[in-house]
Formats: sequence, structure tokens, C-alpha cells
Amino acid sequence: MKSFALITVILTGWLLLSAVSDFPSWGDTESPANDYRLSQHYITETFPESSVPNMVTAVLADYRGYDTMFETVVIFVAGIAIMSILRRKPLDYLKDTGRETRSYKKDPDLIIDTTCRLMIPIIQLFALYVVAHGHHSPGGGFQGGVIFGASFILLALSRDLQAAQRWVPEKRVLNLAGIGILIYSGFGFACMILGSNFLDYEILHKIMPATPVEARSHSMLGVEIGVAFTCTAIMFSIYSNLASNGDMKETL
Amino acid sequence: MIPATICVVLVCIGFLFFIGGAAGIIRFPDFYTRMHAAGKGDTMSVFLILMGLATYQLADFSLANILVAGKILFITIFIMWASPTSTHALIKAGFEEGQKLWTPDVEKEDSGE
Repeated sequence: MKSFALITVILTGWLLLSAVSDFPSWGDTESPANDYRLSQHYITETFPESSVPNMVTAVLADYRGYDTMFETVVIFVAGIAIMSILRRKPLDYLKDTGRETRSYKKDPDLIIDTTCRLMIPIIQLFALYVVAHGHHSPGGGFQGGVIFGASFILLALSRDLQAAQRWVPEKRVLNLAGIGILIYSGFGFACMILGSNFLDYEILHKIMPATPVEARSHSMLGVEIGVAFTCTAIMFSIYSNLASNGDMKETL
Repeated sequence: MIPATICVVLVCIGFLFFIGGAAGIIRFPDFYTRMHAAGKGDTMSVFLILMGLATYQLADFSLANILVAGKILFITIFIMWASPTSTHALIKAGFEEGQKLWTPDVEKEDSGE
């Protein structure tokens, strides 16, 4: 069995490596990807058309905004799927409303607790920076949302799942995830109501204090914030469901 | 020229610490000493390497380069917080779970003497 696996690995590796020789060489200006007029358009026209220097974000959130909207929906659906597979009985903690009734199971360790208390605000600040600066430098809604969700996961790891659940309870998580998609599609429908195509942000200059070109930049920031909401909520939801086997009581 | 030399020296010392840490993870006998090698070696080597890179950035003294060096400094501070704490958390978890401490007697028992 082991030798069979080895042969398969070697064969696959050989196939992949033999395909490498068909690739265009590194930085080849004549290669199809660089030669095609669509990429030329993105490279030369992104900044004049949308005043966004980072063309990756412009392609993601504006030129192919419809695609990104449903990527956000895919993340949402993934979170819902994990929740619905692992949750086999209703949560009883949702019923009690007392905030301070729950106590820690074990004393939190001083070193871990202090370090995480110092680090979590910085992580969250950095996440907001990544979201807000996504159309000027590498970053954006997905990355920033994941970093923000990781800060809640760190809180759950350093103390207890309940400590993190007090900040972002399950109900609020689901609301946030839905609000993120609503923000994104709200931008699309706002464009439609004002008389343009779905997610054609240029028309939004009528309700924004901006020129049509700047309106696209601002709308990209808006939809990135929506993506960040969904990513944060679903990241934490997936962690807390997997770590507690769906009942939100015990952590790892 | 001088910043480049400092950079090379710092990065080389950092790699030495890295090699020491990697050797420690493989060669040390039990969980605690291995974690000790991982935490100490990684923290020190990453600190030295990033300091070397920050010095290299400061060779051309301009505002943009100072900002990059500052960002590298922030990463260094962050790692010097996070790496020892994670090592501590792992060792504490291992201790609570009941990992055995290494003594020469344990080795004798393991090798069947």
C-alpha cells in the first residue's frame, strides 16, 4: 500500500513538473495573460476609472463585484452548514440573560491572560487597518475579517469559550454575518434604485459627496466592510462550533 | 557599507540560533526541553534576523525606509511577546495533562536496562 502511494505521488509530481515547461517564462510580456487586452485595460485604466491604486481590490470589489458578493455568501453558507451539522440540541445558555452568572471553570493563567489582554486590542486595530486600507495596499475585507475573527478566537483560547461568547454570542454572530451580506447587496440594490446596473457604483455619486470616480472608491470600501463583517462572524462561529462540538459549553 | 555588514553579521548569528533551536527540537529527550529549545531559539533568531533587516533598510536614510524599519521593529516586538507566551501556554498545558519530566533514570527504563 505504501509503495502504491509513493508511485502515485511520484507520477503526479512528474506530471505537474512536466507541465511547467509549457508555462510562459517569468515576466514574459508576450504571454497570453499579459497580452490580452482585458488585463491591459485593468493595468492602465483602473486608477483613472475608480481612483483606487490597488488594482487587485478594484478587480475584486468593482469589476467582478458580483463574483465577490457570492463568495461572501459561500462563507456565510459554510458557517451555517457547520453549525447545522454540529448543533443537535437547542442551546440552553441562550435562554438565561444574566451576564455575570457564568464563572470560569479554571483560573486563567496570569502570563497568558496578560499577554492576550495586551495583544487582542492591537490585533483588532490592525484588522481594522487592513479593512480600511484594502484599496490602497494589500488587504481588504476577507483578510481583515479573518484577523478580527482570530482575535476573538485568541480570547476564547486564552480564557474560555464562554468569555468570548459574552462578547460575541451566537445570536449576534449570526446577525453580524447576515448584516455583512446585507451591506454588500444593499450597495448593489442602491445602484439599481438610482437607475443603474446592479453593483455599478458610479451612479452612487448622487447620494455621496463625491465625484462619480470617487464614488466607486468609496463604495469599494463599503462592500469591503460588509465582507469583513461576514468573515469575522463566520470565523468565530466555525471555531466555537468545532471546538465545543456544537454545544458552546466546553472548549478544547 | 557598514549597515550591510551589520546586517550580514546579525542575520548569520540569527541563523546559528535557528540551527541550534532546530537541533534542540530533534535531539532533546522530553517535551519540556524540546519546547524550551523551540521557544528560546526561535525568539532569539527571529529577533536578530529582523534587526539585521531593519538595519539594512536604514542604509538609505529616508522617511519611507525609516517607516519600513519601524514596521519591522513592531513585528519584532510582537514576536517577542507572542513566542514565549505560546511556549509557556504549551508547556503549561503539557504539565496539566501530565507529561513526564526527563531524568536519567527514565532513559534507562526506556532503553530496557
